[in-house]
Amino acid sequence: MKIAPSRISQHLFLMLFLLLFVQTEYRGQDEINAAVNAFFRIDPLVLFSYLLAVKSWSWLLLPALLMVVATVLLGRFFCSWICPLGTILDLVTSWIPKSAPLKILKGTTKYWLLLPLLFSSLFNLNLSGLLDPIALLLRALTFLLYPLLGLSAREGWVALYHLIGEKRDGVAPAYNLIRDHLLPFRDTLYPLALLSALLFLAIIALERFETRNWCRNLCPLGTLLGWLGSFSLLRRLPTGTCADCGRCSELCPTAFDTGQFRKVDCLLCMECTAGCPHDRATFRFSLKAGRTFPHVPERRLLLGTMAGGLLLALPTRFRTPEQQSRLLRPPGVRSEDDFLRKCVRCGECMKVCLKNALYPATYQAGVEGIYTPLVIPRLGYCEYNCTLCGQVCPTGAIPRLPVEAKRREVIGKAVFDRNHCLPFARRTDCIVCEEHCPIPEKAIRSRNVTVMAMDGTTRTIKEPYIMDDLCNGCGICENVCPLETKPGIEIFAVKNHTPISPPVSSESPTNSDPYAN
Amino acid sequence: MNRRTFLKAGGAALLMAPSLVTEAVSAREPSLVAVAEGSDFAAITRRAIHGVGGMKRFVKPGDIVVVKPNMGWDRTTDQGANTHPLVVRAVVEECLAAGAKRVKVFDNTCNDARRCYVNSGIEGALKGMKGVTCTHIEKERFKMVTLNGSFLKEWELYDEALSADVYINVPVAKHHGLSKLTLGLKNVMGIMGGNRGYIHRNIDIALADINAHVKSHLTVIDATRILTAHGPQGGSMADVKVLNKVIASTDTVAADAYATTLFGLKPADIAVTVAAFKRGLGEMNLDKIRVIKV
Repeated sequence: MKIAPSRISQHLFLMLFLLLFVQTEYRGQDEINAAVNAFFRIDPLVLFSYLLAVKSWSWLLLPALLMVVATVLLGRFFCSWICPLGTILDLVTSWIPKSAPLKILKGTTKYWLLLPLLFSSLFNLNLSGLLDPIALLLRALTFLLYPLLGLSAREGWVALYHLIGEKRDGVAPAYNLIRDHLLPFRDTLYPLALLSALLFLAIIALERFETRNWCRNLCPLGTLLGWLGSFSLLRRLPTGTCADCGRCSELCPTAFDTGQFRKVDCLLCMECTAGCPHDRATFRFSLKAGRTFPHVPERRLLLGTMAGGLLLALPTRFRTPEQQSRLLRPPGVRSEDDFLRKCVRCGECMKVCLKNALYPATYQAGVEGIYTPLVIPRLGYCEYNCTLCGQVCPTGAIPRLPVEAKRREVIGKAVFDRNHCLPFARRTDCIVCEEHCPIPEKAIRSRNVTVMAMDGTTRTIKEPYIMDDLCNGCGICENVCPLETKPGIEIFAVKNHTPISPPVSSESPTNSDPYAN
Repeated sequence: MNRRTFLKAGGAALLMAPSLVTEAVSAREPSLVAVAEGSDFAAITRRAIHGVGGMKRFVKPGDIVVVKPNMGWDRTTDQGANTHPLVVRAVVEECLAAGAKRVKVFDNTCNDARRCYVNSGIEGALKGMKGVTCTHIEKERFKMVTLNGSFLKEWELYDEALSADVYINVPVAKHHGLSKLTLGLKNVMGIMGGNRGYIHRNIDIALADINAHVKSHLTVIDATRILTAHGPQGGSMADVKVLNKVIASTDTVAADAYATTLFGLKPADIAVTVAAFKRGLGEMNLDKIRVIKV
């Protein structure tokens, strides 16, 4: 039997996806040339939800627009030629015994997923990334599977050290090769790791009922592509099964649900043409109308899903002031509303973040902000010279900035907690924060003060203070604060994200005498 | 008198009368500090090392050597926050020429290790050298070490530094917000694990505690360019002063004491130097240090 070309293509794309995923990491270069964001840039669901939510055009979306055009011309080929999640389902489905298809998933269920997502985008709530198949897969990888791989490898490597000590250096080259090219640099645990993995496993578990269950009955991207593809001029012939043979309906993974060939469900995998015993099945361009499914959903569905979108968009808005005060977004994000409209919650920025400063929001940004990236300075800080998150963000929710501009972007502002900070609370020297502050003129400075120490003696210590207009909120001070539990300095969110002024030119001399007492 | 008995005697003397310590120290050979000047940083590094007796004095054939530069910050070579790669490479080459079996170069960085190793220029400068490793710190290699110091009773130190036959300290001379300067004595922080910021509350005593345990066989201070303000990471070229100097000594305290003068300061201004001197770790009085220009 011939192998359908789609099979080769989808495996190549899955490999490309995994390769790009691993490449979405700092490996000695300030610029990442190819990242897994490419898959989102060709994702029409991202395109439509962005256009509806942001209501303006971005050239980052051009590849997705081309994908729309290709789908309208050819049909829903993305699902069986490109989609890495679909490929994974194709790979595992033969291992999963099937029972009868779930009735509840049939009919208009998939539209009840897609349309509320699109309508809520129109009402400024862009949740499409939550159910986008690429994002679902990427989050499961980023938040659980990849850290798990890293952790297991590292634990094994550490165990070897405890076993044989420095003799381990003998096999280090082999391990280093894997470490440098495959493993994550740092072991990170993410919130929502379990949820992300469970959603992914649930999609696989759905294969229990029929092949490509998620793809044909739920996936909002697939639904969108199916609808776009129903305009296609590429037709399968014969339009149904032949009277003397029904082999194609057995080979077809998706489109012969009702016994009839349904174009919206055809993934153009070409299994039928490759497997037709009579070489009759074929795909041809034809202007003849032969649609079996309406272009426009019925009014009741439209109104119902619109109401659903509105219901999603409003009640999820609520945030407490406490949540707001520590809501720190990646560098370059100046407007929270704009950010929420653009972010696809794909997790790439969190994957690439050099110091693992970014984590998916669970409750901090309200229901609407789940999975959006947050800076948690105590766990990781924003590296001064790094611009990776802006480079990999597929939609520009985190803007791509040159390093000079990124350094000046304000994430938040540092504030001392005098009840904890050592020079204030314990009357001892410390200023680890000042040491680490990356701003060349120092946003954290210190002055000598004479204080009465806890033991009653008089001594001179260095007391830190913050130059508010120089602080970009990178969070390294909070990160390195040597207090063991609550840090003595913390970054708080600000409304005014005016960039800090650029460093003084290298020609001008510094006036301050650093040794003056 | 070996180092242990010397330290014991020094410690006992410290308890009885501080003046005895100065006497005990002055009884030794005067500390030798070699200073080389020139725009060829590799050449002046070699000259400075030859000035204190050459690398063969420290490194024997087959030795495992640790060369510990300061590459703690994600800054460029010119910005002066990290040891100059040419100085590091020259030290490493001297070790290999003396017969070292392996030279290990590492630092427990403050910024992201990958960026520091790359942007300091040190990883690149050592790339492809046979017998030389320039690898990131691996957490499991830190060992809890009993120090019984005045401030630090124990601390996690890096096993490769502890087990090496020769430990060569290659700091860059620069300003520091808390300790005024960071030189050889403070560079030892790069082999410390754990919550290093903790020692800031008593940094001069803590560093004496560590340096008393981890003795640098040779200290080579990079003063090719120094950071005069906003240290230890700087970032502005206005704070960088080019001196074209490399300093070498077997006495870290003496090397630090001399390097202090390059900033227009006196050794007594630097609490870290004073604490190490009082601990008997070396000489800080400039009139008792023999400085040779090579």
